[in-house]
Amino acid sequence: MIFGMHDGVLFNIGPIPVDHLVVTQWVIIALLGTIAFFATRNMQEVPRGLQNAFEAIITWANDFFTQLMDKPHVAKKWAPLLTTFFLFILVSNYSGLLPGSATVDGFQPPTSNWNVTMTLALITFFSIHVAGFAEHSLHYFGHFVSPSPLMLPLNLVEEVAHPLSLTVRLFGNIFGEEMVIAYLLFLAPFVVPAAIMGLSLLLGAIQAIVFTILSASYIAAASGEGH
Amino acid sequence: MIRDKRFYLSVLLLTMVMVLGFATFCMAASGSGAIPEPAGETPVFGNFFVIGWTAVNFFVLLALLYKFAFNPINAMLDQRTTTIESSLKHAEEVRIEVEQMKKETQANLAESRKEAQEIVARATKAAEDAKTEIINKAREEADNYKIKAKAEIEAATEQAKMELKDTSAALAIMAAEKLLGRAITEEDHKKMVDQFVNEAGDMLC
Repeated sequence: MIFGMHDGVLFNIGPIPVDHLVVTQWVIIALLGTIAFFATRNMQEVPRGLQNAFEAIITWANDFFTQLMDKPHVAKKWAPLLTTFFLFILVSNYSGLLPGSATVDGFQPPTSNWNVTMTLALITFFSIHVAGFAEHSLHYFGHFVSPSPLMLPLNLVEEVAHPLSLTVRLFGNIFGEEMVIAYLLFLAPFVVPAAIMGLSLLLGAIQAIVFTILSASYIAAASGEGH
Repeated sequence: MIRDKRFYLSVLLLTMVMVLGFATFCMAASGSGAIPEPAGETPVFGNFFVIGWTAVNFFVLLALLYKFAFNPINAMLDQRTTTIESSLKHAEEVRIEVEQMKKETQANLAESRKEAQEIVARATKAAEDAKTEIINKAREEADNYKIKAKAEIEAATEQAKMELKDTSAALAIMAAEKLLGRAITEEDHKKMVDQFVNEAGDMLC
């Protein structure tokens, strides 16, 4: 039994075990869904309050991805997925700042578990190839043997390295941050961890942005010209 | 009280420190008794149930956000674009219309001014004509009066002359009667009177 960072089963639905961090994900999803529901419940042409905030996020994301990718229609198609990555990872990271996180058994940010980050990275991995195939159809597979068939192993390694790096980067950062806070709480329970928690506010946002931007650039590279 | 950027920044910083401090306090308090030393064991890799659940959860979140955020907001953005475009178009139309109206108004104004000038000119001319006519009429009337008056004066002079003639004739007769001491005959009388009158009249006139 490790301190807080325990990936344990909370209950079973039939034969399927439900882990603690799955329930945390449910809470995060419920929170985001509720906010989105209330933001767009009474849509008005002149936005106000929550609607304004949500519109700002989505407009900003659309503009950002459009600038990042050289094809606007690709950006428009993939912006929802990438924005969902960002929001999910951001709220997951910040859930680690809640009281009890990493000290209460099983309560930890979902992104501090690499099964979760790997799933997200795999979604990115498949998205990259779907985007590439959708844009270039069979020509897309040509880039595995470019500039020469000798490069095939290296290209394959690169394809695997993308999701692997995404997985380990997000997991390592958040897990490490949680561990640092947990150790500081053990050593000096009052006030001292606040500095690290302030930093982890920044870290959580940066990791969410990095994951999103890297996914977007991989998708842009796969769907862009040059294949 | 004027509050500048620094004030708000310091309030924000203080709030953050307080919230985070409180959070650490709660974290410390939530552990039962002494906080155990963290073991730092890495999570088990390859928990397929967690992977499966995460995938399902992620796509549920994607679907939820699609339904409640991306779709309605994109639709709203499109609608807003349409509204703004049509508003701009409408504004352009209105601007053109206003310009046209302005032009028309200016043309009307110029025409009105011209008309007014014409009216004034006509009125002035009419007034001048009336003045001339009145003056002419007055002059004519005055002339008429003058002529009439002259005629009357002449008639009155004539009459006075006649009356004077008669009177002087009667006087002369009376004087002659006294002088002669007798009545003179009708014939003498007549002769003398006529003679006298003629002489006297010549003298008088």
